[in-house]
Amino acid sequence: MVEERRILYEHLDVPDINTFDVFRQYDGYARFEKAIAEYQPDDIAKMVMDSGLKGRGGAGFSTGLKWSFVPKDIKPCYLCCNADESEPGTFSNRYVLEKNPHLLIEGILICCYAMGIETTYVYIRGEFTLGKKMLDAAIKEAYENGYLGKDIRGTGLNVDIYSHPGAGAYICGEETGLIESLEGKRGQPRNKPPFPAVEGVFSKPTVVQNVETLCNLPFIVGNGVEWYTQMGPTYADTRSDPPTPDPNTGTKLYCISGDVNEPGVYELDLGLTCSELIEVAGGLRGEEVKAVIPGGSSAPILTHYELDTRLDFTSLTLAKSMLGSGGIIVMNETRNIVDCLLNIMKFYAHESCGQCTPCRWGTPWVRDIVQRIADGNGRKDTITRPKFGVAENGRWGDTGETEEIYEDLDLLESVANNIANVDTMTWNTICVFGIAVSWPAVSYLRKFRPEFEAAIREGKLVTLPIAEATVPPEENYAYQQRFVPKEFADL
Amino acid sequence: MALIKLNDLEIEVEDGTNVVEAARQNGIEVPHYCYHPGLTRPANCRMCLVEPHVFFPPAGAIVPDRQLATGCTTVLRTAPPERKLDGKYDFIVYTDSPRVKKAREDILEFLLVHHPLDCPVCDQAGECDLQDYSYRHGHDKSRYLEVKNVPPKKDLGPDVLLYSTRCVVCTRCIRFAEEVSGTGELGLINRGSHDEIDIPRSHEGTPIQLLDNKLAGNVVDICPVGALISKDFLFKSRPWFMEKANSVCSGCSVGCNITVEYKADGVYRLKPRFHEDVNQHWMCDDGRLGYHYVNSDDRLQLPMKRVDDELTPTHWADALSVIQEQLSEVEAENIVVIGSAQGTNEDNYVLQQFAHEVLQTTQLGLFGQLQGEEHKFPQFTIEADKNPNTAGARTILGSANGNVVLEGDALWEKVSGAKVVYLVSGAPERPLNEAEKAALESVDFLIVQDVLPSEVTQLADVVLPGTTFAEKDGTFTNSTGWVQRIRKTIDPPGEARVDWEITQQLAKQLDGEINYHFAGEIALAIAENVPGYADATHQNIGDAGIKLAGNDQ
Repeated sequence: MVEERRILYEHLDVPDINTFDVFRQYDGYARFEKAIAEYQPDDIAKMVMDSGLKGRGGAGFSTGLKWSFVPKDIKPCYLCCNADESEPGTFSNRYVLEKNPHLLIEGILICCYAMGIETTYVYIRGEFTLGKKMLDAAIKEAYENGYLGKDIRGTGLNVDIYSHPGAGAYICGEETGLIESLEGKRGQPRNKPPFPAVEGVFSKPTVVQNVETLCNLPFIVGNGVEWYTQMGPTYADTRSDPPTPDPNTGTKLYCISGDVNEPGVYELDLGLTCSELIEVAGGLRGEEVKAVIPGGSSAPILTHYELDTRLDFTSLTLAKSMLGSGGIIVMNETRNIVDCLLNIMKFYAHESCGQCTPCRWGTPWVRDIVQRIADGNGRKDTITRPKFGVAENGRWGDTGETEEIYEDLDLLESVANNIANVDTMTWNTICVFGIAVSWPAVSYLRKFRPEFEAAIREGKLVTLPIAEATVPPEENYAYQQRFVPKEFADL
Repeated sequence: MALIKLNDLEIEVEDGTNVVEAARQNGIEVPHYCYHPGLTRPANCRMCLVEPHVFFPPAGAIVPDRQLATGCTTVLRTAPPERKLDGKYDFIVYTDSPRVKKAREDILEFLLVHHPLDCPVCDQAGECDLQDYSYRHGHDKSRYLEVKNVPPKKDLGPDVLLYSTRCVVCTRCIRFAEEVSGTGELGLINRGSHDEIDIPRSHEGTPIQLLDNKLAGNVVDICPVGALISKDFLFKSRPWFMEKANSVCSGCSVGCNITVEYKADGVYRLKPRFHEDVNQHWMCDDGRLGYHYVNSDDRLQLPMKRVDDELTPTHWADALSVIQEQLSEVEAENIVVIGSAQGTNEDNYVLQQFAHEVLQTTQLGLFGQLQGEEHKFPQFTIEADKNPNTAGARTILGSANGNVVLEGDALWEKVSGAKVVYLVSGAPERPLNEAEKAALESVDFLIVQDVLPSEVTQLADVVLPGTTFAEKDGTFTNSTGWVQRIRKTIDPPGEARVDWEITQQLAKQLDGEINYHFAGEIALAIAENVPGYADATHQNIGDAGIKLAGNDQ
């Protein structure tokens, strides 16, 4: 039985940990004091780089690397803390904000010290009223105790934190959408490049970090890189010679929901398998696992064949899915995948910001197609199309065979892929919202195609037994979603 | 200059040019909606996707980039030597690869998902980017079976209607209102597929602010589809039925380059034409909607003479002989000839030649529309001088006269003592004050040449029907010294004639020797005789205009 390893959440349940005095009793701000006493800012940046900390917000981008992109000579530079936690199935930041806001402030202070930042904006999801109240109170206390403001602890360090509530848009969790919203504009993502690290808030270099990422910093500084890298696996990326280490270090706040007996946030080492996680969360509620969403609603779904997949950034990428924000949703045999997809597509159609064409009009279209199938109005006409899979050359491509498919399913896959192509991992949209739409749409359809076909054939939602509903991994068409473009394949 | 491989072409472009412009310069169209050279680039329509090719180190070769890039935001620059592609190219980009074509098709399919396809009743049909690109790059049928969004039609302001159903949400209009006019009346309401362009409204839907700034009409021009429509032009004509001529707006001394769109029965609309130094892509609504007097039913169509205190229509021979009769009895010092700042350089040149050579008077004046208000916008200025050719008329009228041209009080003083005044107006809406009226009333014989009945024609003894900017060839000189061509579009109404022809006819009546055949010939004479205008022949001016020497500000 796997045990939780509580680091970020260690003192979460201590009464009044949200107050400055109690937080101090539990090492609070000691790590920050250690940082300013023992390390130069560049040392901290190097520690973060060496720790292998990956951004916990969704993309899993190396935090140290991100910091290294920030130009040192342009000031002011800003820190944006992304607390707009709005991915369905994710609720870990909320606990930190509501229960232990001083930990976030300490993380912010360390980041500000390392990067020479004097102003931090915490963009909090508008619905987190309690979280904002707690954070604001903590910020006030930190000012009163001299941990924020001018000349902190006599070091000459100045840091101000402003908390800013969002207005309820999912897209404002996207870093550039967040920045636009913070600047008082309509929350619409920007074109990249320039990336926020170069041109972010008010056109100045900006570090955008998730709450959880920042909360890791005190522990990296306090306990050292060596201690930190012991947690979680480090893989070798063999695409280069010699192989480069691919660290998945630290713990992750997994938000487990769905058909488990004890849903909630569990802090565990990275690299545990799906099955282990379900065990930790009190085991499955129901007979059998039908599917698992590993990283928030935008992640491609995993079938019961893939329960051995390790839930870390690298393993899930190799499984053609993603860890994302760590929002794990477990589904048992009673769940209908068409219905689940409809639920998710309704969400994305509602949340598309409408800035760019494919997403604005493609997302509701996908929803409408799924709705039609779920309503039993799917067209029964079939078409013959080329069958994709692993081709003769061993790469993803046209297998030379053909397959019969319901026209509506082909349409669903085609429209989703036109927003963002999950096979080539290219998107015609401005931001990755496009891929967040087409990833679930295409993966649900490919991996649970019999259930979609049954809905069309029967004219109503039919929940098939798991064995019948799931396409087996031998049908690589469903599992191998990312193919190398032909131009690359020949090289 | 950067060396670019664009499809199979090897081209050189200025550093900082984007792919859409670089392609356009080389005759290749990269379809786009949201990109407009005069506005910022949000790259939200995704229509201009192109395929950059990059060096891929593991393969040691140049390969297509993984992602397509938007052509509008892909800026071409000279690359440092170590980053040249194929040893020489600064950038390699394809606008016609299969991936690009597929992406265009897909985007067009999305654009048409909620579009009503009401081309048969849409004003934009024929000049619609959505229509054109769909024909060239789109699918032949729609796969969309669901119910279309039908957002309401909206009245945004005095001249602008919004057919929301046709909108592709490219936000050009919003950016125009923010960046060029700086008035910011437009914005997006709702979200996602329910995005709509709108003006600020109360909860009940009552407009709080209308799109009524003086540049509002430009949003209709820049709208790539039939969403924003001018009420003035609504249902008037199909674009392909209209002829077009490049001309210059006569509304103020900015001299905006325009295209006059017309049919045999009149002018239908004016549209701005790009000129980098004069008006960029824009024009104001005063100019845009100021053409209606050209088509007016009240236009002066026949010469008139005063009989028993009534202006009575007559024929040209009679009108000219009445004038001849009067002029032959008057000394040169009692004649005042007044040119018009609304007239072309050519009109005024013939007029001053007539004054000097035939009437032998040196008393030349300048008449025109009164000063209006200046309107400054972040990227555009409407000037206070409401005449298109004040600078040109002043120079040319004074060219043989030691640059002495009577204006203002000095003019009216001279008029009040004159016996005969030949006033070319062309500014029918100009009001007269008491002193001016008194001065003109005191004149024994007042000849007025104008296009519409006006306060000056009421006082005239003979009225000669002249022409507007739309009915003649010639040049205007704007306030910054640009000499630009106007072109004849429609025929003058009735017996009305081009102003310089009337003056020339009058000269012939008085046995003068002025004999031009077309406006270009007069421009040659101007080039020869008027300082500064040496290069300003019609051939040299072309569509771009030329800037007079000494106007380098």
